[in-house]
Amino acid sequence: MIATNGAPPPLESLRHCFQGVVPALIATCSRDGEPNVTYLSQVHYVDARHVALSCQFFNKTRRNVEENPYATVVFNDPVTYEAWHLKLRFLRAETSGPLFDTMALRIQVIASHTGMAGVFRLISSDIYEVLELAPIPGFLLPPDPLLDLAPSAQVAGGPMTEIRGLQVVSERISRAKDLDDLLNSTLLALDELLGFSHSMVLLQDECTKRLVTIASRGYGSGGIGAEVAEGDGSIGTVAASRRMVRITGVSCQLRYGRAVRGRVEEAGGAAGLAPEIPLPGLCDAQAQLSLPLLAGERLVGVLAVESRDPLHFDEWDEAFLQIIANQIALGIDRMQAADDDGGPVATARAAPKAGAAARSRSFVYYKNDDCIFVDGEYLVRNVPGRIFWKLLTRRVKDGQVEFTNRELRLDPTLGLPPLKDNLETRLILLRKRLQEKCADVRLVPVRRGRFALELDGPVELSERESA
Amino acid sequence: MGQAISTELAAFCHSGVSILVGTRDRRLFAECVRAVGARVERGRRELSVFVPLATGAVTAANLADNQRIAVCFTRIEDHRSIQFKGRAVAVALASEDDRAVIERHRGEWTRNLAVIGMPPRLSLRQCSWPSHAIRVRVESVFVQTPGPGAGAPLPPPATAGRRGAS
Repeated sequence: MIATNGAPPPLESLRHCFQGVVPALIATCSRDGEPNVTYLSQVHYVDARHVALSCQFFNKTRRNVEENPYATVVFNDPVTYEAWHLKLRFLRAETSGPLFDTMALRIQVIASHTGMAGVFRLISSDIYEVLELAPIPGFLLPPDPLLDLAPSAQVAGGPMTEIRGLQVVSERISRAKDLDDLLNSTLLALDELLGFSHSMVLLQDECTKRLVTIASRGYGSGGIGAEVAEGDGSIGTVAASRRMVRITGVSCQLRYGRAVRGRVEEAGGAAGLAPEIPLPGLCDAQAQLSLPLLAGERLVGVLAVESRDPLHFDEWDEAFLQIIANQIALGIDRMQAADDDGGPVATARAAPKAGAAARSRSFVYYKNDDCIFVDGEYLVRNVPGRIFWKLLTRRVKDGQVEFTNRELRLDPTLGLPPLKDNLETRLILLRKRLQEKCADVRLVPVRRGRFALELDGPVELSERESA
Repeated sequence: MGQAISTELAAFCHSGVSILVGTRDRRLFAECVRAVGARVERGRRELSVFVPLATGAVTAANLADNQRIAVCFTRIEDHRSIQFKGRAVAVALASEDDRAVIERHRGEWTRNLAVIGMPPRLSLRQCSWPSHAIRVRVESVFVQTPGPGAGAPLPPPATAGRRGAS
């Protein structure tokens, strides 16, 4: 039973305080009576009577609670800055299990971003019983009647808005005519109906084991094709672990990670560190939620949403987006299985632009990394690069205009895996890169499993061994 | 005699960093509270920390009982942290001179919090006056920056103690 002074709210209602936006502080005392006070990196809500604190180093706090299990934690609400006082008793250190995995994954993401994968990691989730919870009434001055007015209550959408949003997303997924349509219409609905204004879907390339951004919303046009290695950052960590991860107070967490990195370097451990990985997506994201897209046991890709508001995502978003992610994954799986069945016309074939200036394009293919440049600018690489070079050379040498997915699959020089080759995904990526870099060269669907390579002007091809 | 505080460390303590105070009662139950300012005293072997009366009652009671105190200074933008351990040799009501230190700290602390996204509208609501002035005789100093070596003693400065700091 938690002792309470007056009638404080239950622990679970202080969920903002557990987001780590304002670091909590902890005081402990050694057996010989020496107090210690420091900041905490993570306070995790376990249940109404327990919290878990992350232990990354066997530090003084940990040594103290092994000698004398009582501790005091003070944490603040990041919205109101109100302070709360928790009296705790250390129970045990967990080094495996679901709670440990969840806490470890968050640290793994920060470690990866700051180039400390394998160096900075969770040692244990330390479980404490909450003996007392009380507000600290004198911490803040009384509110100013004008300056500290309670913010106007937001017009809540209510569960029906959320269910209707889910209904729309589900409908778009089930009715999508192709993979591109499925992803774009889903991300649009997530933005317009549910407020997820920065989102992206990355699909796994079976050949390179990297994740490639195939659709995005809220980032402008430049992000398509951006790659993330498995294990890198929140997206790569989700792909490697196949578990959802939510990071709040991203900049605070990164500052903590960089402080640890600095200490590792000072201690002579710089050789074991990797360069810091730039955050994909928003450069100033404060909250990230990434979810694996799983079709059965197979990882299809990752759905990632982010926000500049550190408190934007909570448990509700996790549960809600998990449903959406499952639907997207099944939709992608269905599209990938069905993209070669010769079905009806998917998209009306676009007519060449009438009267458009016939601009000449110069394409260069670098053999060493299957990389293609157009007019001196990077276009695409890897398997999509090999595919596009085949299409261009056939078009220029043989005059072939239309191509089938089947003939690409049967070409061993393209290096497509025999099963789940993601060909449709690679063609979408190629189509979008062309739209972005040279819109006068287009891949136009003719019918399911067949497309045309359209050129508005002459093209010039050359091959080089390396750049 | 206690450990001396280097000039560089004194400047760090006066630079609007976060200040946490830890004490304990006679049953060894620890208490923590945020301080609202600090001053390294002349001779650089003692420092004064200021804890609001509104939040510092348990801290003052603990110090009246046993004097044991830990004070942790943390720069929030890079987590550089230093912890002082020692004895509270006096606890009094902060004076008007002390108030100037508290006000200067409040301004710098608010600016530092704003850099990491905490709006001054919130941070300026933190109560800072009236305060206890807790005079601490420093016995040892530790590096508390998170990472390997956190908790290691900070060696005393080679030249400390020749001149007083204010």
